[in-house]
Amino acid sequence: MKTTAVNFRFFCIFSILAFLVFSINVAAQSDTGDGRSFPLVVVFLLPFILLALFGIIWAIVYPIMFLWGAVSSSGNVERMHEDANRRKMSLRQRKGREILNTIDGGYRSNASSVGLVHANGVFGPSHWHLMIGFLNNLIGGSVTVFQQVISAGRAEVMQRLRDQAEAEGWDEVINVRIDTANMTPQSSNSKNSVRGVEIFAYGTGIKYE
Amino acid sequence: MEQVVNGILVVNTETIPGKVITEAMGVVSGSTVRAKNVGKDIFAGLKNIVGGELTQYTELLQESRNEAVGRMVADAISIGATAVVNVRFATSAITSGAAELFAYGTAVKYE
Repeated sequence: MKTTAVNFRFFCIFSILAFLVFSINVAAQSDTGDGRSFPLVVVFLLPFILLALFGIIWAIVYPIMFLWGAVSSSGNVERMHEDANRRKMSLRQRKGREILNTIDGGYRSNASSVGLVHANGVFGPSHWHLMIGFLNNLIGGSVTVFQQVISAGRAEVMQRLRDQAEAEGWDEVINVRIDTANMTPQSSNSKNSVRGVEIFAYGTGIKYE
Repeated sequence: MEQVVNGILVVNTETIPGKVITEAMGVVSGSTVRAKNVGKDIFAGLKNIVGGELTQYTELLQESRNEAVGRMVADAISIGATAVVNVRFATSAITSGAAELFAYGTAVKYE
């Protein structure tokens, strides 16, 4: 993590330096050529031209992604929910019972080892969902699109906790708690920030002798 | 398979199943604030338009939570405990790219 940040900083500084050296070279060569100051103007304008190019690409890419989200996002959310439910059912059939419990107790007395199990996921509504949600907000009532996204995410995270418990060899998980945290704080600039909800499930795994 | 972090037993129940707690040694905690790099933030922003899971942030929070638990365990080791019970987690997002993770629990000795 630290090394990537350092690498990124190094890359930024290096690219700025390379840009400066390149532009000075271009300016020097043009001065020896015909003596006009035209390339210097280009050098000063280059950042703005790049910014404008980025804006143009964004103006083309964003509507395509928005429409793609409008077409596919609801289906994706439903598929994720169905997939999580199917895996849950198959695990329940394999184990013969539900392995998650929210009570602190109910385990057999021959526990040989215990430990923390946790799983998480960050899920966000698409911009299409945000638009539908905004329209829903005007009318009032239940905002179904957000509820679908969050409940699908929760089902997925619960299933991840079950998978994690199975992979680590726990027979049962007790005292399961589910936390939901907003990834978009009130203090941040709401225009440019990522909309997402983090769902985090944790519990105590028990293994019997 | 005993999940022991640096020799410390970590559970989120009030008691340790199958073991007896002999001494409570007070609250231990660990916290961390972490952020992804700009490239992954931009990618997460693009993924957010289409919706669904933001894998970059899932990874980020997973790593930070492991680090917070590691710091809590280091705190418990420093006061000579052998287990941490009743562990709770708290999450707060400072900006959309950075998150603060906080883990706390009660350090105990068990037999």
